[in-house]
Amino acid sequence: MIAFLLVLALQMKVPDAEQFVGKPQGTPVTGEQLHLRTQQIGALLRCPVCQGLSVSDSPAEMAVNMRGQVRELLSRGYTQEQILSYFERSYGQFVLLKPKFNGVAAAVWILPLLAIAIGAVIVVSKAKKLEAAPAKSNGQPATEPEDPYLARVRELVEKP
Amino acid sequence: MNRTVLIIGLLIVAAVVAILFMGLGKDPAHIESPLIGRPAPGFALKAVGSDETIDLTRYRGKPVILNFWATWCKPCWDEHPVLTANAQMAGGRVQYLGVVFQDEESKIRSFLEQRGWAYPTLVDQAGKTAIAYGVGGVPETYFLDKNGIIVAKFAGPMSAEDIQTNLQKAMK
Amino acid sequence: MTPSLGRFLILASVLVSAAGAFIGFAAGQKQSPEGLKWARRFAYAFAALMLLSTLVMEYALITHDFSVQYVSQVGSRDVPVWVTIVSLWSSLEGSILFWGFILGIYIAGATWLNRGKHEEYMPYAIGTWLGCGAFFAFLIAGPANPFLTVPNPPLNGPGPNPLLQNHVLMIVHPPMLYLGYVGMTIPFGFAMAALLRKRLGHSFLRPLRASLLLPWVFLTIAIMLGGWWAYEVLGWGGYWAWDPVENASLLPWLTATAALHSAVVMERRGILKGWTVTLVLASFLLTILGTFMTRSGVFNSVHSFTQSSIGPTILVFLAVTLIASVLLLALRIDSLEAEGNIESAVSREGMFLVNNLIFVVLTFTVLVGTCFPLIVEAVKGKQMSVGRPYFDAMAVPMGAALLFLIGIGPALPWGKATKRELVRSLVPPIGAGVIVAVIGAALGVRSPWTLLTLFFGGYAVHVTLAQMWLPLVQRMKRGGSFGEALVDAQLRRGRRRFGSYIVHAGATIVLVAIAVSSTQRSSQEMTLARGQTAQAAGYAITFTGVEERAEPHRQSTIAHFNIARNGKPVTTMDPRMNQYASMREPIGTPAVHSTVVSDLYISIMNIAPDQQSAGIVVINTPMVSWIWIAVLLMGLGGLVALIPSRRRVYAVEPHSDAAPSLGTAQP
Repeated sequence: MIAFLLVLALQMKVPDAEQFVGKPQGTPVTGEQLHLRTQQIGALLRCPVCQGLSVSDSPAEMAVNMRGQVRELLSRGYTQEQILSYFERSYGQFVLLKPKFNGVAAAVWILPLLAIAIGAVIVVSKAKKLEAAPAKSNGQPATEPEDPYLARVRELVEKP
Repeated sequence: MNRTVLIIGLLIVAAVVAILFMGLGKDPAHIESPLIGRPAPGFALKAVGSDETIDLTRYRGKPVILNFWATWCKPCWDEHPVLTANAQMAGGRVQYLGVVFQDEESKIRSFLEQRGWAYPTLVDQAGKTAIAYGVGGVPETYFLDKNGIIVAKFAGPMSAEDIQTNLQKAMK
Repeated sequence: MTPSLGRFLILASVLVSAAGAFIGFAAGQKQSPEGLKWARRFAYAFAALMLLSTLVMEYALITHDFSVQYVSQVGSRDVPVWVTIVSLWSSLEGSILFWGFILGIYIAGATWLNRGKHEEYMPYAIGTWLGCGAFFAFLIAGPANPFLTVPNPPLNGPGPNPLLQNHVLMIVHPPMLYLGYVGMTIPFGFAMAALLRKRLGHSFLRPLRASLLLPWVFLTIAIMLGGWWAYEVLGWGGYWAWDPVENASLLPWLTATAALHSAVVMERRGILKGWTVTLVLASFLLTILGTFMTRSGVFNSVHSFTQSSIGPTILVFLAVTLIASVLLLALRIDSLEAEGNIESAVSREGMFLVNNLIFVVLTFTVLVGTCFPLIVEAVKGKQMSVGRPYFDAMAVPMGAALLFLIGIGPALPWGKATKRELVRSLVPPIGAGVIVAVIGAALGVRSPWTLLTLFFGGYAVHVTLAQMWLPLVQRMKRGGSFGEALVDAQLRRGRRRFGSYIVHAGATIVLVAIAVSSTQRSSQEMTLARGQTAQAAGYAITFTGVEERAEPHRQSTIAHFNIARNGKPVTTMDPRMNQYASMREPIGTPAVHSTVVSDLYISIMNIAPDQQSAGIVVINTPMVSWIWIAVLLMGLGGLVALIPSRRRVYAVEPHSDAAPSLGTAQP
């Protein structure tokens, strides 16, 4: 029975990655490293039938199939870039959990860096302004004092 | 009036409201297919109920309707009679193909014997073909023109009009 | 009868809150004590109406009154009683009613606690609160009405979403979240009042800060409970996926934390008033944005309620409150003038500024990342995802930076410091940092970010403990035991400071635990035949068999595993697949075995039809329990800081704080 199915399987041709991304450009991965790399790449792919889970995390059968596909491609020597590209060709950019660094997606990487830069400039200039400002009324804060000496003074004052 | 605060504030308001408003019309679960306009990925899969292996290139020269489904998918049950009827009406001018994945052949066979078997149904082991086509769920249907280019994708169960509308694109 | 009673109560609450809002603002404008009295009455009335409506709904749920539309949607005779009670917040309409109920409690509480005080601000605050109340009451009365009448009531209902019946945390997570979210309305009202009065007096800082801290405590714990629930229930072994709704709960927390910190500087130096007010406004606005994200159906999320017309309505409210906030800020922010300065940027004050910078940038990043797919789709028509890898890449450096600040911030002295003082405060904790990092490396940590986090963590712990220790030492010098010193210096006099250091200690542990649990996690897939044993993460896992259990609302298939370590049995673990009557696919419940060191986690992938073998995922996550406990510690620290002190304060209050007195009589 199994032999029969095996023969049948060999006669089948499933759409091959070669159609999409050409020949493997890396070296085949095996063993423990294969398991690790499958998980890592699976974490970058979005399960199409789930709510935002990655292919590595999702229990859905579709995700299991995709994990199998990733594992097979890795064992044949495809690189991470090729594998991600393969899935992107059929599912679109939607399937990439990590936005690409080119095209319109690059903005999502640049904006936070821009925010830090602009924010840092604002903070530094505000700090300078505050340093230069005169200490107007120095109302003693209505809080427990941080300074232990001042605390001691307070205690002495409060003692009956 | 602090102009800086006003301008920055109003810009933020405009941006936020505009973005959220535009999102309101859309269904976040609906995904566009990037394969439209591209050649359909080739495959050769085993047909249900026979030893035959059917290669997609066999049907070059006429439009193909490729329907991905499964026996455990309730909307597929509704869609099946529509597809069967249209397939019978089409005669040889349009080729209908079914591809089932994540399922068992015996279940597929009894389903078809009960509900109608008007066109070849293929079994996709391990869902590789589905992945190559970017199938996200079932049922999903791809319309190929006579040169094997994908011209349309329809997600969800189709009505007769849906089939006709998309078939027009394949016929051009 | 019940549906009409409910509808009547809701309609009344709309009228009462709208009228009360109007009265509040009018009283504020005229600074009328009589007006304030009436505003307070309307506030209490609104709260009472919300309470009654909620009780009516719970009554309908418990008595299975399917003529009430909400009960027909989520009620069921087949579910346990606790599920029935809790289904009040399980679905959209009930959850908005629950929101109104919590809002009523908060408004009544805030009004009562501030009776006779801050009379120049209270009318405006009450007006703002009741304005928000009116909106939510309108939602309940209109688009999200749970009290509609079902013409032919069915005999039974479908029960709430099965995912919500899987775990006890369902009882606590939503109420905590609402207590946190809804609570942000109160400081919002105070902030609006300050803007409308064109001043933020020194004595007003305390209610502003306290009203921000209480919901902060709830929100902190709620976010943790959400992560814990995802971990225990969803089966993928993680606790945070940067799902849009998770992000929605995090955003107001980030700005509220920033506001709490800038409020300290505001109190000490009289600066950053406008900025603190802005952060408080932002925290409230983000809760409205959050509720939009959860309920509008715009975002693809595991949490989403079903789509309804509620989305556009919330968007309108968000737009209105946004515009009102911006306009008011633009007009009044310059009136909240700074009364002071800072002596040097290299000081504790300066570190507070950096703290705010990082929190705000983090808020911006999470917001942009969550909304980015929407923007791209609207502008270019393409669909893209911004998922966990992106947010992790952004959050890890910022989290490390925050941990760094938790260390050097409290280490630096206030004001200006000489170079010698700087060295004396910044250098000693380095040793502790190195020790912790070395321990981590010895235990197998190789990831650079985690090692860095361990170093910062050790540094921060040293600084935090030193800062907690210092007042104790001072107090003990006066004579007395350690215990006396602890109670006197920390709990009686220094609660705010003590509480904040407890929060910092908790936060340090949380950040370190997150880093370790993420990078040191390992997972394995395996298929075991009955009786077969496999090794994973140092445990021997034996599959002993499958049990079927039928309950009224679900059918469970339970796989039993014996867990042993070093030959000795440790425990049994029983992950399940639950088939609910109302859902097509079964939902899995993982089994979790928590120890101090790490968690062993088993989730079922599939069970063979003959039940003689099972495919499972085994995940080992170190230090993950530390996260839940450390966040509770953060909440505890916040509560300690909240306890008001009755001690008389010898403070010289600045002139600008003298408020024009309001009439004479007290109501």
